[in-house]
Amino acid sequence: MIPAHIYNDGELFALEKERLFSRAWTFVGHESEIPHDGDYVVRRVLGDSFIISNSEGDVRAMFNMCLHRGMQVCRAELGNASNFRCPYHGWSYRNDGRLTGLPFHREAYGGDEGLPRAGQSLLPAPNFASYNGLLFISMDPAAEPLEDFLGDFRFYLDFYTKQSAGGLEVRGPQRWRIKANWKIGAENFAGDMYHTPHTHASIVDIGLFREPKAQKRKDGATYWAHRGGGTTYKLPPGGFEERMRYVGYPDEMIGRIKDAWTPRQQRMVGEDGFMISAATCFPNLSFVHNWPKLPGSDRVLPFISIRLWQPISENETEVCSWFAVDSAAPPQYKQDSYKAYLMCFGSTGMFEQDDVENWVSLTTTAGGSMARRLLLNSRMGLLSDDRPVVDALPAESFHGPGRAQVGYNEYNQRALLGLWADYLS
Amino acid sequence: MRKALPSLPFDDVRHLQAHQFLVDEAYLLDAQQYDAWLDTLTDDIRYVMPVRVTTARGAGFDTSPGMAHFDEDKYSLGQRVARFATEHAWTEDPPSRLRHFITNVRAFECDEDAELLVESAELLFRSRGDVNESALVSCGREDVLRRCGNSWKLARRKLFVDESVLRMQNLAVFL
Repeated sequence: MIPAHIYNDGELFALEKERLFSRAWTFVGHESEIPHDGDYVVRRVLGDSFIISNSEGDVRAMFNMCLHRGMQVCRAELGNASNFRCPYHGWSYRNDGRLTGLPFHREAYGGDEGLPRAGQSLLPAPNFASYNGLLFISMDPAAEPLEDFLGDFRFYLDFYTKQSAGGLEVRGPQRWRIKANWKIGAENFAGDMYHTPHTHASIVDIGLFREPKAQKRKDGATYWAHRGGGTTYKLPPGGFEERMRYVGYPDEMIGRIKDAWTPRQQRMVGEDGFMISAATCFPNLSFVHNWPKLPGSDRVLPFISIRLWQPISENETEVCSWFAVDSAAPPQYKQDSYKAYLMCFGSTGMFEQDDVENWVSLTTTAGGSMARRLLLNSRMGLLSDDRPVVDALPAESFHGPGRAQVGYNEYNQRALLGLWADYLS
Repeated sequence: MRKALPSLPFDDVRHLQAHQFLVDEAYLLDAQQYDAWLDTLTDDIRYVMPVRVTTARGAGFDTSPGMAHFDEDKYSLGQRVARFATEHAWTEDPPSRLRHFITNVRAFECDEDAELLVESAELLFRSRGDVNESALVSCGREDVLRRCGNSWKLARRKLFVDESVLRMQNLAVFL
């Protein structure tokens, strides 16, 4: 049972800042956003602004604060620059963070003797690492390595982020603020298959989407592996290629996918018949993979979206939503996939709209005093004696790591909040 | 498409017609009469709202490369409208209270005789429920109106939203 006030509680948000976002790896962007020498984007981890730059192929994350008086040295959110010059007193830094110049160095500081420029650099992020081009910052200098943090969830991350040797390219993000607590979206994407047939009924009504009919959705499995989990759809019978074709991948892409995915990853689709849909990587990074119908036809086409639930406060979240597509995909596929994304997810997406309406309402209600007396029922998938309603899938029916089970349940939401509680306590 | 400067005089009948088109359209959008609104669009409508970004002066761009909030044609706009006609479009049920304010209207001749370039400024006020604050979206519009018989239809719309981070929970409504 979940205390309802955790979705709108200032004291808990202060704890989340102090104990969770100060330690966990959080997503800040993708390498394909800064492909060229000098490219940069500026991203935040809560209140801290970082310049993520490409300097001669090396990608770095630097604290966006001048060493002198603390002004932001970069106030654009993306661009290409060889140097950043602080607007306050003119200290300037190379795009790798090294201090290169300060006005009146000799007169004001006695030159390099008084203040040696060598060794002076914008503060690097305490920890910075990437997986399949996904860039993460941890505010904890002693954080465990990113690969260990992600653990077995990497198996599932690859489905979204490694469909060829070249990996993803992303566009965006679209950014907008919603009056909702950040955990709600993270939980929803992690495992809420139960909401799809109801919340998103209109999408089926208008014939945009083939799948989310109640009967179909509950045939899927949810899985949880270390720091992340997600939902899947059950595919009709067939082998790997047939099933990839069924969700709209052209043969050319399937060929590259087969080279990129391990045999075990392919067996989850080809033998077990499960296709990844939404997922969340703790704490606040989510993914979507869906396959709506193309205009005026029964053909479907997949799209991928990456989603950051950037907390602003206990009752406000900045949503950052990227469109992602395999970099080697044919141009027409990229264009069609992009349009499919815009129709379904993001600031104008028709799935998204109805979700946010619910989450805003939930957050508002969770802020009152009655919410402190209510324990929300989050026991789906468990009988009253905690035995499972449906047994976990055996390894021969589900080749992915972690625990998986078919049907409606809230194992993943509980797993996510379990991690959350571990970090907070 | 090249626009012929200066803007048409405000007493030019084409300016007056363009202005009336925008005000009539604002009424349809406020009232959420979307089927009637779709009828005011040409079949080859392109309706685009790029994502705006903060860039250095001189960067040469201020939109997110390749990314938009809206990038629509008649089919996708029609699907969005069709969704509102279902009983399950929760985000607009109960409906928002909307007001589209249109101002700074300027019309220009362009290289197509049957078309007018029309620029305007728009402020959308949106209020939902009784607890959360209302939301605003401010944007500039660049429209192409095409003469179709005795009336004008909207053939192109480009929306330059003035925020890089929208302060509205979604864009389930049109601008």
